[in-house]
Parts: sequence; C-alpha cells; structure tokens
Amino acid sequence: MATESSESEEEGKIRGGNDKLIVDEDLREMGKNAAWSVSSCKPGNGVSALRDDNLETYWQSDGLQPHLVNIQFQKKVKLQLVVMYIDFKLDESYTPSKISIRAGDGFHNLKEIKNIELVKPTGWVHISLSGADPRETFVNTFMLQIAVSSNHLNGRDSHIRQIKVYGPRPNPIPCQPFQFTSMEFITYSTVR
Amino acid sequence: METILVNGVEKNLNQFMFKNAIFLCERLCAEFPSEVNMQLLARCYLGNNQAYCAYYILKGLKAPQSRYLFALSCVKLDHLVEAEAALLPGEDDVGEVAGGAAGNYLLGLIYRYTGRRHSSVEHFRMVLLLDPLFWEAYEELCMLGVAEEASSVFGEVALQRIQETYLGQTSSFSQRTIVNEFSDSDKTLKDSKLRHNEHFLGNGQQSVTLDSSKQLENSSQTNNSDWNTPSPVPPQVPDVAPPQLRKNLRAPAGEKMVPERLYPETRPRRSARIAARRKINMSQSSGSDADCLHASSSESNSATSLSSMIEKCRIESSKEATTSGQTISGTGNSVDDEENSRLTGFESGPSSIIFGISEVLNLLRLLGECHRHLLMYNCEDALFAYEKLSEKQYNTQWVLSQVGKAYFQLQDYFKADSVFLLAHQMYPYALEGMDIYSTVLYHLKEEMRLGYLAQELLSIDRLAPESWCALGNCYSLQKDHEAALKIFHRAIRLNQRFAYAHTLCGHEFAALEEYGDAERCYRKALDVDERHYNAWHGLGMIYLRQEKFEFAQHHFQRALRINPRSSVIMCYNGIALHESKRSDEALETLDQASISDSRNPLPIYYKANVLVGLGKYEEAAKVLEELKDCVPHESSVHGLLGKIYVHMKLYDKAVFHFGIALDLNPSAIDAVHIKACMERLIAPEELEDYI
Repeated sequence: MATESSESEEEGKIRGGNDKLIVDEDLREMGKNAAWSVSSCKPGNGVSALRDDNLETYWQSDGLQPHLVNIQFQKKVKLQLVVMYIDFKLDESYTPSKISIRAGDGFHNLKEIKNIELVKPTGWVHISLSGADPRETFVNTFMLQIAVSSNHLNGRDSHIRQIKVYGPRPNPIPCQPFQFTSMEFITYSTVR
Repeated sequence: METILVNGVEKNLNQFMFKNAIFLCERLCAEFPSEVNMQLLARCYLGNNQAYCAYYILKGLKAPQSRYLFALSCVKLDHLVEAEAALLPGEDDVGEVAGGAAGNYLLGLIYRYTGRRHSSVEHFRMVLLLDPLFWEAYEELCMLGVAEEASSVFGEVALQRIQETYLGQTSSFSQRTIVNEFSDSDKTLKDSKLRHNEHFLGNGQQSVTLDSSKQLENSSQTNNSDWNTPSPVPPQVPDVAPPQLRKNLRAPAGEKMVPERLYPETRPRRSARIAARRKINMSQSSGSDADCLHASSSESNSATSLSSMIEKCRIESSKEATTSGQTISGTGNSVDDEENSRLTGFESGPSSIIFGISEVLNLLRLLGECHRHLLMYNCEDALFAYEKLSEKQYNTQWVLSQVGKAYFQLQDYFKADSVFLLAHQMYPYALEGMDIYSTVLYHLKEEMRLGYLAQELLSIDRLAPESWCALGNCYSLQKDHEAALKIFHRAIRLNQRFAYAHTLCGHEFAALEEYGDAERCYRKALDVDERHYNAWHGLGMIYLRQEKFEFAQHHFQRALRINPRSSVIMCYNGIALHESKRSDEALETLDQASISDSRNPLPIYYKANVLVGLGKYEEAAKVLEELKDCVPHESSVHGLLGKIYVHMKLYDKAVFHFGIALDLNPSAIDAVHIKACMERLIAPEELEDYI
C-alpha cells in the first residue's frame, strides 16, 4: 500500500503518489464516525474540504506551524491506514513536506506514532500506521492527530485536498471471537 | 349510430388500439350519454393506462360495474378509502360487493394494505367461494398465513360451483362461461365461432344479456367479435357490443396492484405453458345482473359454447391470477361473450366438461398445496409436492421459480442456483423470483454472474423492482454499500409494496452501521408483509450488535415462529439467549438447529462457544475436535480450539492449533489476535525452562 522507499535514515520518505485510490478490501473508512477539526483555516477553505470527496477543494491553514488536523472518535477504534491526497504540481509551496502522526486519548497525551517526509507527492499518499511487530498492525486509539511541521519550498501554510482514515472491518457476526473464513461457515452465517 | 360506434370501440379495444378507442368512445358518450357508455370509456382509459381519467369520469356512478371500475382506478391511484367505499354495497343496496369475485379480491387487497387483516382474509375466502379458479386470492391467503388445505379449497365445492357455471343453462348455450382471458390469438377460432353462431342462430336472440358489471375484469377487454361475424341475425339489442370482458393481458389496466410483477409474466407463462392443443375457452360469464354493461349482442354470442376442455386444460386460466371466474348466476340472461375467445364447441356434453373441470381443479389443488407448504416454509414438503407435477407444468417459469425459492429457504444454494438458472434460460423475459436468484448468487459470491444477471434484467425491464434488487445485490457483494443503498431505494420507489426491497435496504444500512435507518427499513418491510421473516431476522441482528440481547431474542423468536425450520435463525436465537444469560436454553436451541439442518456446521461451533463461555472447556474441546474434521479449512475453529487449550493449560496443543489457524488465512484482526496469543504462550514456556 505505501509506496515507501525507505532510505538509510529512520524516517520513511514517500515519493510520488497514486492517481486512483486503491485500498485493501478488508479495510473500511472510519472517518464518518469521527469529529474533525483543524488548528486554523482560511475562510472558504475549511475542514469540510478535507471530507467532501472533491479533489478540487482543499483545506488551507492560516497560522503558525505545525498545522494540525485532529480526528476524534467517540470510542477507541482500531486504525490501520491514513491516506491523503496531496499534489505538488498544483500546490507547490503549500505542499506539506514533513508530517507527524500522533495518537492518544486526547490532546493531553498524544504520542507520535509515525513520522513521514514527503518528496514531491502527486496524488494519494498512503501512510500505514502499523509497526514492525505483527501485534502492532493496528493502532487502538481515541484520537489521531496529523501534524504538518514543514512544507515544500519552506511555505508557511499548507494545502491538503482530502484525508481518509482506514481501519479493519468488524466481524459481521456479532458476539463471536473470530471471523469465518471457509465457504461452508459463511454460507450458513447470514440470512439475507 | 350508437351500435356502430360501440362496435368500433370494442374492436379497437380488442386490438389494443386505445387512442382510437378513446376517440370513438368520446364521440359515443357525447351523442348517447349513458352509464354503460361511460363504463366503456373508462375501460378504454384503463386500457391506455390512464387510471386518473377513468377515475374522474366514473366518479359518482352507481352501477355495480361502474363502481367496480371506479374502485380499480382508485386502487391504481392509491386512493384506497374511495376504492373501498365504492366497492362496498351501499345502505340501500343489500347486494354483494361490486364486481363479484374480482371486486372481493380488490377489497381484500385494500384491507390488507390498510392493515385490516381479518377482513382481508374474509374477502379473499369469499373470492375463492365465488370463483374457485381465482388463484391469486389463494396466494394472498397463503401469504397471510391462513390458507386452508388446497384440497378443501379446490375440492368438491369448487367442482360443484364451476359445474353449475358450465352446465347451468339447460340450453346448449350456457350462459355463463368463464372466459379465458388470455387467448392470444383471438382470431383463430373465429371461424369455428361463426359456425357456432350460425348453429345457434335460432335461439339466437338471446336476450341481450347484460353483462353483469360485476363480472367485468379489471381490464375489461371485451371479446367482442361482433363486428367480425356477419351475423345472420341482426343484433337484437340496440346497443351493442357484448362486452365480454376478457382479460387483456397487455392492458395495463389489467395490472393488479399486488401481482403487478406477476402480470408481465402472465403472457410468458402462458405461452410457455401451452400444453393443450385446444384451449379452453372460458368466457367470462356475465352474470345476471341488472346492470349490464352492454347488452351482449345476441348474434353470435348467444351461444356460449364452452370449448370443450381437452385433456390439459388451460393451465393458465388456473394460474392466472386475474381470472375472475364469475360464477354465473343461473338465471336466464344469456350472456354471450367471447366473440373472440377461442370458441371451440364443446364436442361432447356435460361429461367432458366435468372431466375438464376436475382436471383443472386437480392441477390447482396440487399447486395450491405446494404453494401453501412453501409459504409456511415447510420447504421439503413443498419440494416433494412439486415433484408430483407433470413435467410440462414443472418446467414453467412460475413453478421453477417457486422450486428455486424452496431450495433457497433450505439454504441449499447450489440447487437453488441450478433451478433458477434453468428458469432464467428457458424464460429470459420473466422476472418473477429473479430477486431471490440474485440473492442466491450473492450468497455463492458469484460476482460475474450476478453482474451479468443484473444487466440482463435491467435491459428487459427498467421499471421492475426485481431488476434493481439484482443490481443492488451486485454492488453489495462488492462491498459498495452506499451505491447498493441508492439502488435499493430506487427499487422501493418503483413499488412501495415490494417487501424484499425494504429488507435489502435494511441490510445495507446495517452493514453501514446506521442502525436507526436500518430499523426503520425493516419495520417498513414488516408493514408491507408481516410474515417476511428476513425482516424480523434483520431486526434481531441489529439489536444483537447493539447488545440489546432480550430485544434480539424476541425478534429471532418471531422470525422462528414464521419459519420454524431455519437453522440459521435458530443459531442466532441461541447466541442471543446465551448473551442474555439463558445458556441452557441456548444450548437446547443450538442442538435443535443442528438436528434441523445437518449440513449446517455452525450450530456446533456456536455451541462450543457457549460452552467456553460457561467454562466447560473439555466439552467444548470435544465438540470442536469433531467439527474440525468436518470443516478442515475453517480458521476460526482452530483459533477457538487454541484458546480452549490455553485455558486448559495444554500449551503444546494450543500453539499447534494457533499455527494451523494462522495458516488458514484468517482476517487481519484475527491474525493479530492469534499471534498475540501465541506470543504470550511462548513466554511462559521459556520461563518454565529457566526455572
């Protein structure tokens, strides 16, 4: 998913991006159940532009760096992937360059879980939240914060056109410890 | 002039030239305003799908036939209150419901739509008394869950009734004949008719019969071939055309509300089922009714010769929902009908008629029994009964789709798939049951075939809710729930009374976790059809997810009351019981479920889960060990086994099973979970080594 070309440094660097949004089938978008807010915005380019499924509209920040996008859920959710649409060709000096993703229970105890540097991104950029350990495939959290600490060409403000947050699909059968994998079980598991 | 105009109108109606008919009829009504002519005009409008016109012109008219047609237009426009008022006999009129059997059927539908179940049942029963061949009424009774045995409905009493109908008149021309509506080619038997007519010329001037307005079918198509026959006898009646109604299949007016979707199939069904070499002509009898629609022309029609029924009666008539066999009341109004109906003279007398009638009734009885079983969800009995049908009957679209539905209810998706496939291949134009077929394909996860089916159905009829349901299922299979929702909403807009579309909408909302909307949809489905157990089940699932276990259990119980054989619902009932802390009952239910359907492995799995919840690890392990041999590729079985062995401190076995579980491609969350469990296991072991 992530087109990461990791270099010798610890930070991952991401180049380019995809034109089309392609995500694994066993993930689903979780942003609908969240409250979205931003640290600052220019009138007319507010937070709703991040969620409107329109790549023409963008959020433009209007303050000091780091610019923050806060995503708060009502209960702890498992998150696996963040996808953003950022385009250097369109936004040039407004294009974010260093992004830090933090998670926690609220504003008071956010901890950085991912640090990414973008190099001339041109589309959908996938940022996986998984750690190296297989036990850390998901981040189980109340809140996610995306912080833009610097832009390309040292721009002050940032443009982000769309953000989507993905987590795993829940078990379609309630109250069960595991999901079913074989046809026999799945056939008899629902009445449609 | 009036006669000529009426003849002209009738002719046009027969040929489905509605605009012409409307034009001529307007001239007629202007010159000779009379109620009868208004009725004719209404028929033209109904034929042309302009129910609102018919509504306006018939408003206030009192003749039974007018009231019947008015009620029909009201139902089409969804003005149920007015329709009901029109159909019921007025205070002064001690008579029956306007329209006879058809009127009673309409009334039954109206009561069903407005929630008065009891009255609705009464009226449907009445319909069957008046006309035993009114299959749709029996189907409605089955849907309401109160149908009696087919043998009693289509039995002796029915036989008598139809016999009366046919043999009532002593004269060779029985007045009453039940018209067989769907005669396709009307003209073919014209000659025979002519011959007949001549023969009966003598008695000919049957009095003009009044068609009982009651007997008129929804769509009144008259078979009037008056104009065709050069009757040697000049029309007795100054007014014309024998209004025999023949159910005109094409006429949109003929569409009934509920069986709207069945209608388009009548034609295909018919053609498909042509078994008989000769068709029986059943002309609609015009009852003796004071109000007559039109005087039947005495000429040709007087002889109502019933076509002799040959070995295979026209099944269509029986299946035709809309046939309204009006029983002919015995008096002497001769009704003549069917000019255009294929008349083949009755060759032999009463004995062949009786034989024919009993043939028809036998067939109906068989089908009725099957259908009743199906709707009571005794699917195995239904399938068994369907086997008894003759091959020709079995291979008709309607029967095949019912068989498919039976297999679907039994969760035997492969067989259902093959049956539906056959039905679709043989009758690609018929849409009945195709929504269930799309669900079968959904269960089998056949994306390509489902997509192809949806496209085909849409190309056949963009206005049928079944096609859109199929497309919606296609999107849902690809997990695009929002698109699927939009499509199911479209299906609902096309037909508000299509319960399954509401249920599917509910499923989509549930998948999107919008439980409030989902609940709303399921309840709407239940409004339309209280016995739609899928909707009850859906409601139960929502409550289960919201952890309202008692509610969930109650709804699963309701679903089970309707369909007591469904092992899936029993399983969920068991789960809900367990979560409500009634674990003994849960275990019982799960045992029942596994008995009820031995091919379903899930009750055993759920049982193991319940036992784990109760702390009975050994039993649970035993149960799962057996299960894992039956279903070797199921990762969750091994996962659960692993957890059980951890509890039992048999760490080697636990690790072993976790390993297998991981190999079998569990979902991402489960994989993480299992790996976490494994890690925890290895640590204590290592610790033990060091100790």
